[in-house]
Amino acid sequence: MIQLDVTSQPRNTTGKGAARTLRRAGRTPAVLYGLNIEAMSLSIDTHSFTHSVLGLQRRNAVVNLTVEGGDTYQVFIKEMQVDPIHDTLKHADFYQIDAEKEYEFSVPLKYTGQAKGVFLGGELQIAQTKVKVKAKPMLVPDAIEIDLKNLAQGESISCEQLVLADGVNVLNPAKLILVSVV
Amino acid sequence: MLSPKKVKHRKVMKGRSRGAAYRGSSLAFGDYGLKAMQVGNMTARQIEAARITISRTMKRAGKMWIKVFPDKPMTKKPAEVRMGKGKGSPEFWVAKIKPGRILYEVTGVDEETARKALKLAGDKLPFATKVISKKETL
Repeated sequence: MIQLDVTSQPRNTTGKGAARTLRRAGRTPAVLYGLNIEAMSLSIDTHSFTHSVLGLQRRNAVVNLTVEGGDTYQVFIKEMQVDPIHDTLKHADFYQIDAEKEYEFSVPLKYTGQAKGVFLGGELQIAQTKVKVKAKPMLVPDAIEIDLKNLAQGESISCEQLVLADGVNVLNPAKLILVSVV
Repeated sequence: MLSPKKVKHRKVMKGRSRGAAYRGSSLAFGDYGLKAMQVGNMTARQIEAARITISRTMKRAGKMWIKVFPDKPMTKKPAEVRMGKGKGSPEFWVAKIKPGRILYEVTGVDEETARKALKLAGDKLPFATKVISKKETL
């Protein structure tokens, strides 16, 4: 899984007035919480964080969040509040994770190659573009690649045929068809 | 043109629009979209005109989604009729648009064509719009 480094500063002020002042200064209010830590109000640099998140292109990522004058936490971006008109970041929620614990992720499927059934006049039908998996964060792949080269007409690929690393379990039904040639 | 099959009330009050569109403000299906930047009414004719523009510019390639539906009836009094004597008869349908609302989404065409098609569609509408892409939005 992709890792991202983010630096933050502790924040003492709360409320919409203080948040707006912060946003005018080019920073975004954020909050960090988790199972074993007390919730912490933070602020992050809007420009650099937005740039980093856009680079992720909606892929799963673990953020190494450094709090100035404090520790570094491994977190997920739990929620991002975005201005509906200008598409700018308004607030971010960070959720501290345990790297040894299993979490659920949605992983995109990447279809490669041309199915041989398509050459013979068949039609490729992509039924699923992502699957749900349960695994430790560091084991989760960015995308699951599926080679279509040997897919003949009338054949399909289902969840049980996915080749994944040890410790990564698919949560979708085993018989769920991902792609087929009809 | 788009219009509801049946409605509970034939005539409704005019109403006022406030705030931004929080629902329907992010891309759900396509890679590019047309976003409203102002409040306004989009008539069924305008929805159809913009749809035809997008379809022609993309040369019927790719895929398009219309994200708004004209569900509000607008009434009009006949010409040369004095005021009063009740509300006019329903004449056309509009979709109430709040700033931030995604109006159309497209995918399956190159960026240049998608932007050109959506810009031309936006030029047909009575409020300011902008073209957004999936890779530029959070």
